[in-house]
Amino acid sequence: MAAAGNQRVIVVGGGLAGLAATVRIAESGLAVDLFSVVPVKRSHSVCAQGGINACNEVARQQGYSEYEHFDETIYGGDFLADQHPVLEMANWAPKIIDLLDRMGVPFNRTSEGYRDLRLFGGSLFKRTHFAGATTGQQLIYALDEQTRRYESEGKVTKYEFWEFLWPVIEDGRAVGIVAQDMRTMQIRAFRADAVVMATGGCGLVYGKSTNSIICTGAAAARCYQAGVHYGNPEMIQVHPTAIPGADKLRLMSESARGEGGRVWVPRKKGDMRAPRDIPDAERYYFLEERYPKYGNIVPRDIATREIFSICVDDGLGVSGENQVYLDLTHRDPDYLKRKLEGILEIYEKFAGEDPYRNPMKIFPAVHYSMGGLWTTFTPGSYNPAQARHKHKSGSPAPIDAKVGQGMQLGAINNAMTNIEGLYAFGEVNFAYHGANRLGANALLSCLFDGLFCGVSVANYVRNAAPSKAPAESLPAAAYERVTQQEEAKVKNLLSTVNQGNYDEKTNAYVIHRELGVEMTTACTVVKSDARLRQCQSKLGELKGRYANVKLGDAAGWTNQSLSFARAVGDMLLVADAIALGSLERKESRGAHYRTDYKDRDDANFMKTTLASLKPETRDVSVQFVPIDASLILPEARTYGKVAADATSAAKQPVAAGV
Amino acid sequence: MATKHTDFPNHFLLRRLHSLTGVVPTGIFLITHLLTNSSVAWGNLDSRAKEYGHPGVATFQHEVNFIHSIPYLLIVEVFGLWLPIAFHSILGFYYALSGKSNVSAYAYQDNWRYTLQRISGYLGILFIFYHIATLRWGWTFLIPGGTQWDHNYAASTLAMALQGGGDGMTAAGLAVSAFYFIGVSLLVFHFANGLWTAAITWGITISVPAQKRWGVMCAGLGVALMAMAWASVIGYARLDVTAARQTEQRMLDGKSKPASSADNPAQTSSALPAR
Amino acid sequence: MIATISANPTHATPPTKLGRKVRFRIKRCEGPGKPSTWNTYTVTIDQKGANVISCLQQIAANPVTVEGTRTTPVVWDSGCLEEVCGACTMVINGKVRQSCSALIDHLAPNEGDEISLEPMSKFPVIRDLSVDRQRMFHNLARLKAWVPIDGTYALGGGPKESPEAQETRYALSTCMTCGCCLEACPQFNLETDASKWDSSFVGAQAISQARLFNMHETGKELAPARLDALMGPGGVSDCGNSQNCVKVCPKHIPLTESIAAVGRAVTLHAITKFFRG
Repeated sequence: MAAAGNQRVIVVGGGLAGLAATVRIAESGLAVDLFSVVPVKRSHSVCAQGGINACNEVARQQGYSEYEHFDETIYGGDFLADQHPVLEMANWAPKIIDLLDRMGVPFNRTSEGYRDLRLFGGSLFKRTHFAGATTGQQLIYALDEQTRRYESEGKVTKYEFWEFLWPVIEDGRAVGIVAQDMRTMQIRAFRADAVVMATGGCGLVYGKSTNSIICTGAAAARCYQAGVHYGNPEMIQVHPTAIPGADKLRLMSESARGEGGRVWVPRKKGDMRAPRDIPDAERYYFLEERYPKYGNIVPRDIATREIFSICVDDGLGVSGENQVYLDLTHRDPDYLKRKLEGILEIYEKFAGEDPYRNPMKIFPAVHYSMGGLWTTFTPGSYNPAQARHKHKSGSPAPIDAKVGQGMQLGAINNAMTNIEGLYAFGEVNFAYHGANRLGANALLSCLFDGLFCGVSVANYVRNAAPSKAPAESLPAAAYERVTQQEEAKVKNLLSTVNQGNYDEKTNAYVIHRELGVEMTTACTVVKSDARLRQCQSKLGELKGRYANVKLGDAAGWTNQSLSFARAVGDMLLVADAIALGSLERKESRGAHYRTDYKDRDDANFMKTTLASLKPETRDVSVQFVPIDASLILPEARTYGKVAADATSAAKQPVAAGV
Repeated sequence: MATKHTDFPNHFLLRRLHSLTGVVPTGIFLITHLLTNSSVAWGNLDSRAKEYGHPGVATFQHEVNFIHSIPYLLIVEVFGLWLPIAFHSILGFYYALSGKSNVSAYAYQDNWRYTLQRISGYLGILFIFYHIATLRWGWTFLIPGGTQWDHNYAASTLAMALQGGGDGMTAAGLAVSAFYFIGVSLLVFHFANGLWTAAITWGITISVPAQKRWGVMCAGLGVALMAMAWASVIGYARLDVTAARQTEQRMLDGKSKPASSADNPAQTSSALPAR
Repeated sequence: MIATISANPTHATPPTKLGRKVRFRIKRCEGPGKPSTWNTYTVTIDQKGANVISCLQQIAANPVTVEGTRTTPVVWDSGCLEEVCGACTMVINGKVRQSCSALIDHLAPNEGDEISLEPMSKFPVIRDLSVDRQRMFHNLARLKAWVPIDGTYALGGGPKESPEAQETRYALSTCMTCGCCLEACPQFNLETDASKWDSSFVGAQAISQARLFNMHETGKELAPARLDALMGPGGVSDCGNSQNCVKVCPKHIPLTESIAAVGRAVTLHAITKFFRG
């Protein structure tokens, strides 16, 4: 029955991480069942615009190295990431670019035909590869094509429009999932020897964000409820530049700044002149003035906070509203069209203004979740006796970029959660980005997980899982139990239909809207003890109302309200974890900024926030666990800011050579 | 790797032959046919033809005489013309069934031409059938006035077919002329537009500018053909049958026209051929 | 180039009149084989930048028709909401497009204006505005729309490529499988029987993808197989040259050029095969 040929892996989520895992695992000879709530080609990865980072020959000959990429990522993440995995990711990056290139990704080219590069936040070297302004779309299409190829060869089975409901865990080991067909509404269990969660971020917890409508975080929340730890929930990246909108906040890629975009506001408060009528002297290029070295390409959290503060604290927002100019009008339109057409078209389409001639109006928006399901790893062979100081930019790297120095290739616990056989790849895990993700590192981490940690999954299934009870031979009871649990949930929700009239208090859409507003105000750019406690009580109120949620649709066919209402319950739990993590982390680090604890506190908080749910009370608890910081010593993260206030000036010299 | 070789040649070959037969020989024939027929108009420019009376009629007769001098004419007609046209028509009829016009929602110029291409194809088949049946195969019961076309009296019998007889335009004749006018116009459009799409189908014009340039050329050809078509139909619908007959008779007899009395219709009206 | 973008009048957003009421006439259907009905809802536009999606979200929260009847929430597909995923495609005021980029200020600038929403007609309706576009993905497999690489191991980089070639490929590669080109194509018809998909017209989307992969140095290897498929029933020669595809394509992909290019490729392929056997 359980012959080697019957070993299966379930991959949940068909974004870049899920597809990379699918391809890698299928290639190793294991059957893959791929689950996605949308056709995988429509996953949220399509929204990544700017590019993908990797050391390359040009940068290398200018003094750049994989090691420096590693260093930048750690520094950019404000020393919260476990360091060994990041080293391995940076070392692998060039291989990933080569592979994508072979898959046919139309990377932009130099006139001689080599891959072109652009400058991106957090680096002084051009190390970002890009395909027009829709790099994420191009990457996921390449993986989608390879997946389709394996699908047509019978190695991969796709379950599109299937929603993951719960992991099946038997004896502490993941042995399958329960999922629901979103059309027929059938709920059934699927067996597997390992399960890979690659379900992305949780932007919808914030109502409007730059995320796709499918990024509820519900799948991760369900694993979390089933006992998986959640790491650094409070680390939510707010992207500095987004286009305000009624249904979502659309990303204006960092590449707009990378290609010379300048951020400014009128120096005079309430200046209502058209932007082109405001002379240069009367424009406040606040990022350039405050960060002369990096200027407009400071990392995201810094740009976000500066834009937020210029509008909210200084009241200098354009037209008195919460918005600043992102100006590309000084660049040659043909150049812009070639490099940025895709994103500028989005602006034109949704804002109704021509960005080639008028500065764009932008404001920060929730963008990425650095936190996520907590995962483990086996450190690689590079273990210096003592952690080194921050790498001097452009100086020779202390080590080469050989495979296995950061993480041990194929070790079965790489990217595995605290549940054996349950892996988390891509944005859904908490690894690599620490307290803040560098631009163009997200696509990289997704692909790295899929390709590098995919080997771990295959090894686990081959070498470790069969020594226990292979999924195929397990008794059906474990699967039936979870199926029944989920069926009961659905029955319960459906039974609320037609119980009384429309009531805002118990309407899932209204609860979600209020959740979004609350989380955006309390848990994004600036946080404080008082506001977070207020947020917690609001969440308590929302959870109370959700307990009586009423559905508007009893249909047994394509019932979207059911899926949505169910997800709102999960989002509320993620929100809980975010709020508690934010409250307990009494420091400021990366994307997490506390007005009452403005400084980084390495002694107490250079640790992972580990959130877990008490199954009985469904209450969240957090603890802080040590991180792997054995490679680089922490250092103040200033990006060479011109000291404006005494505290930061006194505390450390400007980070040398960043 | 490619396993479905069984149906490929038929489908592709038929599609391409359908495209090809629209251009060669059908399209080429259309050009010469319209050129010949419109000689009733442009023949007036030929001073040599004046010697027989109506120069247009004379030129046309001259052209018709040439065609009828072609050896094995029937075989040429059947294999070079009727079969290709039938092939193009039958396949086109079938292919067009697979499309569903949507100009109401997508009122683009190209889409209108797509729709018109199919309408003109259907009406064109009807017209060609009527045209050949009545004038070539002699199904005179379909012609008001029952004229039998005679290649020795090419212009006059054609005019009679269009006019509903030899005594000037009748109401029924007007209907036939209108049918000719519409039918010929649609076929000219069908050919010019088909020539444009054929270049895309065969991959001759790929870029949008190339398609545009070729489009202008096809439109130019279409306008020229349309001018010939209209000149022909209007020319024969308005042709003085008696005068034409005199001219033809002289040509048949090998005589030049007498100096003065060519324009007197009464003189020769009784000389119309018996059916 | 730039001037043409800004000269397009549809890009000039009229000022938002907040608080105005807009009517939505929506074609509803409970499931495959069920009859279609129309419901009309009123939505108050209370935010700048409102689009069809934000209005559908408002309707979903409280679906009461103009007659005061409470209905089920309208079902529709959506994803990225920035016109790169293709999910939210539907027929809006009679024309196919993405609903996320359908701004209310353009469609219904005044109080009481009406917007009609229908599901795409060339794909089987799942429910309300949601349709099943599996056939498009099926067609990608039919044409082997991928680069046949030797696995994902590190084997060095891909082929060098001129910027011009990259630009052409990139343009083709932005296709998000939304189906606008197929909805507007008079030659592409609804086919609920999946067993007939392989002999039904593939349409511009798949033809253009075949061209994309035939252009790639490694993707070329499968060109003969792709061209064979495109010479069969439902292949490129079933195109009727209405050229609607290129006009409704939200990504401005040169679909008609792709069709012509593939037309040339199959012509040459047929000749080659004829003489080579």
